Amino acid sequence: MNRRRFLRQSSAVLAATWIPTILRTSWRIDAPWLLVPMDDVQTDHLKAYGVAFRVLQRGGRGEWFLNYRGGSFLLPADQLTARDAALAGVRVEPLDDDRLVRIRAEIQQGNMDAIPLEKPPRVAVYVPPNAPPWDDAVTMVLQYAGIDFQKVWDAEVLRRGGLAQCDWLHLHHEDFTGQYSKFYLTYAGAGWLADMVQRNTGMAKTLGFPSVPAEKRAVAQAIAAFVERGGFLFAMCTATETLDLALASEHVDIAAAFADGTPMDPDASAKMDWSKALAFQNARLELSPTLPSFSDIDGHQVNSPLRQPLGAFKLFNFSAKIDPVATMLVQNHRDVIPDFYGLTTSFTRRTLKPGVTVLADEAGAPWVKYIHGERGQGTWTFYGGHDPEDAQHQIGDPPTDLSLFPHSPGYRLILNNVLFPAAKKKELKT
Amino acid sequence: MIPVRLLRLGSALGALLLAALPLWAQQDTLNRAMTLERRGDPTSALAIYQAVLDDHPAEINALLGAERCLGVLNRGLEMVPVLQAAIVANPNSTVIDALAIRVWGVAEQADSIRRYAERWAQLTPQDESPYREWGGALQNMRDLVGARQAYLLGRERLNSPDALSPELAQLAIRSNDYPTALQEWLKAIHRLPGYRPSAVRTLSQAPDAVRPGLLRTLDLDQSPAARGLSIDLRARWGDPVGAFHRLQASLPPDSAESGDMLRNFLVTVRGINGADARTAQAMTLEALAERRTGVDRARLHLEAAQVYAEAGDRRAARRMLSSLSQDPDAAALQVGATTTLISLLIADGEVDEAARRLEQIKGSLTVDDYQRTRRDLAQGWIRAGALDKAQGVALADSTVEGMALMGRLRLYRGDVAGARALLKDAGPYAGTRAEATDRSSLLALIQVVKGDSLPALGAALLALDRRDSSAAVKGLERVAEDQPASGAAALRVLAGRVEAARGHGAEAERLFRAARVPDAPASAAEAELELGRLMISLNRLPEATEPLEHLIISYPESALVPEARRLLNVARGLVPRT
Repeated sequence: MNRRRFLRQSSAVLAATWIPTILRTSWRIDAPWLLVPMDDVQTDHLKAYGVAFRVLQRGGRGEWFLNYRGGSFLLPADQLTARDAALAGVRVEPLDDDRLVRIRAEIQQGNMDAIPLEKPPRVAVYVPPNAPPWDDAVTMVLQYAGIDFQKVWDAEVLRRGGLAQCDWLHLHHEDFTGQYSKFYLTYAGAGWLADMVQRNTGMAKTLGFPSVPAEKRAVAQAIAAFVERGGFLFAMCTATETLDLALASEHVDIAAAFADGTPMDPDASAKMDWSKALAFQNARLELSPTLPSFSDIDGHQVNSPLRQPLGAFKLFNFSAKIDPVATMLVQNHRDVIPDFYGLTTSFTRRTLKPGVTVLADEAGAPWVKYIHGERGQGTWTFYGGHDPEDAQHQIGDPPTDLSLFPHSPGYRLILNNVLFPAAKKKELKT
Repeated sequence: MIPVRLLRLGSALGALLLAALPLWAQQDTLNRAMTLERRGDPTSALAIYQAVLDDHPAEINALLGAERCLGVLNRGLEMVPVLQAAIVANPNSTVIDALAIRVWGVAEQADSIRRYAERWAQLTPQDESPYREWGGALQNMRDLVGARQAYLLGRERLNSPDALSPELAQLAIRSNDYPTALQEWLKAIHRLPGYRPSAVRTLSQAPDAVRPGLLRTLDLDQSPAARGLSIDLRARWGDPVGAFHRLQASLPPDSAESGDMLRNFLVTVRGINGADARTAQAMTLEALAERRTGVDRARLHLEAAQVYAEAGDRRAARRMLSSLSQDPDAAALQVGATTTLISLLIADGEVDEAARRLEQIKGSLTVDDYQRTRRDLAQGWIRAGALDKAQGVALADSTVEGMALMGRLRLYRGDVAGARALLKDAGPYAGTRAEATDRSSLLALIQVVKGDSLPALGAALLALDRRDSSAAVKGLERVAEDQPASGAAALRVLAGRVEAARGHGAEAERLFRAARVPDAPASAAEAELELGRLMISLNRLPEATEPLEHLIISYPESALVPEARRLLNVARGLVPRT
């Protein structure tokens, strides 16, 4: 090949390969690392979790800098990650090795830690089929952040090995006492309630249970077993309270007559076996079938005469190097977050089991907001309330558009939970 | 020498003063505690109240202050010993009984609550208050059944079937028992009509499923209270016009009473949004006008005309104005009536008649109002194609808005250079926000179009202003063919927007795609955004992703990127479609 021909061919190849790339990749970054800052400079806190998650999904690795600039992420500066961040509107800062060394030194000296992120958890959300996708804070934020998840319901949970395909399971406003959130009498005649009753009774019958409460209790027990085997459970709203009530009521009828044909045992509170529950103990059950309240676990009692006003809850500050799990769960750019109602909004301190880690509470109030604990090989985290950006959420309210709340500190707590199972397990010191 | 009687009087006054001094001092101390409470220092305030109570255990103000402070500090149970000391010091005080009920309520001691409520009831046997406090304390303990029993016991002992009905109604609402709540509210309103707003406010929250049943109950009850409640609830539950018709059918012959009913309904519908509520409001004003005479009647007719016009019922608005024109008492309102009529005439295309009317009232209008109405006329003439007449208005208007109007007229005549200069001078701020945005968009378009004189472009934009979209699109496309890349792309984006607004998706898509040219980056970014929006509106979500991603990546500095990201979220199903 003569020189002129070589140059011509080389130029053609270069033009064909590089020029379009250069034109297309004005967002390309010439640095080995990308820092995703999670303090106030971040342009979309929620999508930042999605960018980190997708790096892991592509087989990449990252690090979570706990307590460093609001809980920042260190990601490889490959083209796909940079493009993904640009499309998502997530602010990233190119980082060279020198600066990374300085950051690591800073982390070493303060109440901070660098946690490797290795494997994306397989996420499952417990949700009835055909449920509106916009009525569940976790589904909403997973979709907004672009984190893949599968949906499971009773049949999948109760199938042998049904939850073996997931690492992280989320529950939202499901009523595991099988009483349709105790809306049965109040909303009699409403189309959505009729659908809910039909779907649940059909499922209980299909699975061979005598009633919906019996079937839901079996589901609760399967979920507890999933945690026992090493699963990560995250629950919000009324799923927190009713899951424990279902677990603790193995030998007592806590469901109203409309749910199982027999009235609730009037002495149910005294007959509960709280050793079976994950988080709560010694709760007093609500006996009225018409009052949409289950027990005094919830401090706010949103639909009862005891309704308490909303305040704000404060995240606890943990030692990053000693308690990395608790620290991961509270990473945020805000310490104090406005409270929000749910059928279960908060958890009264009186009903917490010893050993439960309180992650956030309202100062001076008899309740806490955000708790965590272990069961067997796994962990559970309960977060009270329904929608962090719709404090007074009512049935039929328009769905929350998270693109209007890209910095939501309340939603960040949910995403901390999603990413926490991706962290490489360290020997815990406490 | 001072007389002895004067000395005695002086001594007596001195003794009185000395006796009163501690009371003044105590009052001063309590005032200090109140000030501390207001400043948000309940701990210090509590210390003062406790010091007063050490000397005077039954001092009511100090007791109430201590109760407030301990409640704020979440130490309500510490009131128990304080209360016990107060009862020993003053065993016959009903105020202390009321306090005792609240304190035992915090301690969740139902038996003690009952004891003090019964004691209080014995001291004041005809009073509802003991039962009200008793039931309230039990409600706070989640004991709704007990609360109901307390209220019903009070009703029985007072031998009054409607006693404590507001409390029982609220209790039923809290138990989601709306039918019972309705019955109790009706009793309460019979007793005291002032309860109606509370009844409406609480009952209007009833779920959709129970509303028809509640209305049926009200329809069966022929009492005025039931009729009034039915009307207010219908208005709030989406049928304000139907509610008005029911109100009209139930108006009594007595003019004063019916006037009150209409005024109350007017207050209700004024608080409701939507065209139906505006129509109901106008109908109520008209009905009120019929019950008045003189200037009042004329004023109500004028207001009704204006509200009808806002609701889009121009025929009814004109009917009101026509009755005003024959009303000798409406002389003082002629300016307002004519202004309303002018806006109706312009909307109906009778611009010359509107202009004639405007000249009749010119002397009564402020210069600003006159100029604004003249510009409305000019807009009407533009829509009618009478550019000369519109230009006559613009020439006589030296305001910034007048300058912008002249700019648009120059553009419609094809004088692009003149239009550019005038619209630029008018700037982006004058007029309403919509006018300013419209003007800025027009200026942005003609700044990228090449050529100082383009009659075809003027004709196309005039057609657009005259709402002849089809001619406008054809004209814009024709002009685009002779333009360089940037001008052509901008014109195609505009034409595409018009087609999209007309529901011509395929045409709009063709135009937006044609505008995606690298040589016109600003318009290309706009075209990509519009293409993404169009694909989403056509439910072709996967096809929306590519242009939006391209916009974000290729034009990262574009001001359209945030909007593109938002649309991308929608296209990917990451956020709900609104």
